[in-house]
Amino acid sequence: MIWLAWRQHRKQLLFTLLGFAALAALMIPIGLSMRHSFTELGLPNCVSQLARSQIDPVTANGCESAFRQFTNRYQSLNLVAVLLVVLPVLVGLFWGAPLVAREVEHGTHRFAWTQGVGRTRWALVKFGLVVVVTVTLAIVYGLGMAWWVSPLTQAAHEGRLGFIVFDLQGIAPIGYTLFAVALGIFAGTLWRRMLPAMGVTLAAFIGVRAAVAILARPHYQPARTLTFPIEGAEPLQEGRGNWVLASGVRNADGKMLAADTRIMCPAGGQAPDGGRCGADIGAGPGAYNWELYQPADRFWPFQWIETGIFVALAALLLYLSVRRLRRIA
Amino acid sequence: MEIALEAEQLGKRYGRTWALRDCSLRLPAGRIAALVGPNGAGKSTLLHLAVGLLRPDAGAVQIFGETPYANPSVLPEIGFVAQDTPLYRDFTAAQLVEVGRRMNKRWDGALARNRLAQLGIPPKLPVGKLSGGQRAQVALALALAKRPRLLLLDEPVASLDPLARREFLQSLMGSVAESETTVLLSSHLLADLERVCDYLVVLQAAQVHLVGGVDDLVAVHRQLVGPRHSGEPIKGVAAVVRASHTARQSTLLVRTDGDITDPEWTVHDVTLEDLVLAYLAEGETTTSHAAWEVPA
Repeated sequence: MIWLAWRQHRKQLLFTLLGFAALAALMIPIGLSMRHSFTELGLPNCVSQLARSQIDPVTANGCESAFRQFTNRYQSLNLVAVLLVVLPVLVGLFWGAPLVAREVEHGTHRFAWTQGVGRTRWALVKFGLVVVVTVTLAIVYGLGMAWWVSPLTQAAHEGRLGFIVFDLQGIAPIGYTLFAVALGIFAGTLWRRMLPAMGVTLAAFIGVRAAVAILARPHYQPARTLTFPIEGAEPLQEGRGNWVLASGVRNADGKMLAADTRIMCPAGGQAPDGGRCGADIGAGPGAYNWELYQPADRFWPFQWIETGIFVALAALLLYLSVRRLRRIA
Repeated sequence: MEIALEAEQLGKRYGRTWALRDCSLRLPAGRIAALVGPNGAGKSTLLHLAVGLLRPDAGAVQIFGETPYANPSVLPEIGFVAQDTPLYRDFTAAQLVEVGRRMNKRWDGALARNRLAQLGIPPKLPVGKLSGGQRAQVALALALAKRPRLLLLDEPVASLDPLARREFLQSLMGSVAESETTVLLSSHLLADLERVCDYLVVLQAAQVHLVGGVDDLVAVHRQLVGPRHSGEPIKGVAAVVRASHTARQSTLLVRTDGDITDPEWTVHDVTLEDLVLAYLAEGETTTSHAAWEVPA
């Protein structure tokens, strides 16, 4: 049975590995040059100093400009990162969806499932092998991307928790890829034709991923709030790499005056135009900046939770697939 | 007498339509049975139920006393060739024999290789590049290599040209003659199977219309030709299967329960083909004028 699966999918595996190798050949030089610039601009030093949050203003300014320089030079790579987010769903489309659908479309399931081993064995071996291959690829992908994207995320304010970069690295890609493959298999057992199964996989994957990322992820752990006065606060008070969920300016009684904004006046309460600080939005005495955020050090707990959700979904879908399989003739 | 396949009130439904209904039949071991019926009569459904691909919605089917859907352990006893002989098209015949070895505990690879060698099938060519007849032969060889006690073939010759049909059936008969394999093979054309089968199942519109050994069936049916008949009983006739009338004359195909001595009727023996056609014609077709929006 394993032999059959190997014979059937070895070409596909070869092409997948070739694709991976081509991608690596493209990404590794970029990653190396990115790291080179990162070191050249003295950014590793900045990162470690900022992490200790005891930094004199001169260095801070130097770091800020160095970060800006780096970001400007490599900003376009953020687009590449966005494109790379789609890799797991591609695995789902090309490894998951055809697994059952292709057999049924060609009628070969009637050959395979009437041999001595029976279809449940067939399914367990096939699903098992695909899961092993997928997890291996996803681990390589997750580690590789973490290496590749780390200069970009260190340079960015949002850090590793931000959308896209969070999804690219660590162990979350394992969850996404498994989920995509299981979704593909399940869609194949429902629609039993490759193209509809692939279409449904794509749509459902995007839907679930977006829903989890937008609706669930900000609430994995209770968010923290940070407040600081609108007058006389030191810049850079908030930690780098925090994931800011919401922010705004509140009055002393907590009433939100203006969302998604921040006011910082020097001590003494004079706004640049000479008026009282925040007068234009009606800020009274004691008004403060407010921020709801997930701290940067929650990266790994969030990765584990996110991965757990998608692995659980994948397991459920695989179980349902084995059950659906019993109804295909 | 051992029963290879037994169906009891077997039924399968797709949505609201029954693809097979109230199907009861017993196929004794050692027989070569033809499963005949028009397209869509439920032949494939019956075979899929028998090999455990489908779960019955009503009744039960047993293969050598085991329920194939619930119990995959009976699979080694069944050799199955599905319609259009699906095989992995990018595998060569030799690789498929290897697939069979790896997916079956009991496997006679030498038998498959000898057969395929004798038939001149190239071992190193992907089966997708073989002719339909050669592919059917590969599928049959793979089914036979399981050394099954029951061989189920779904329209194995439908896609073959007449010469290939004859060769296929000859080689099939050659190989099941020595073993005591029971065979159930379906076709929408009786002519394909007439020469090889000794047992007959006629399916029409999801229901079994006739089951029995060919000799027994031929022996109890007669064709009567006589004056126009309007339904009065005839001595020795158990049932009129089919009647056709001209102005002055009636031709009846009847099932007998004794000698027909009435001098009004000329009695002819029937061929298997007459018999099947009569039973197939018996199942009435429901009209669909309403669905087509045309006057009846």
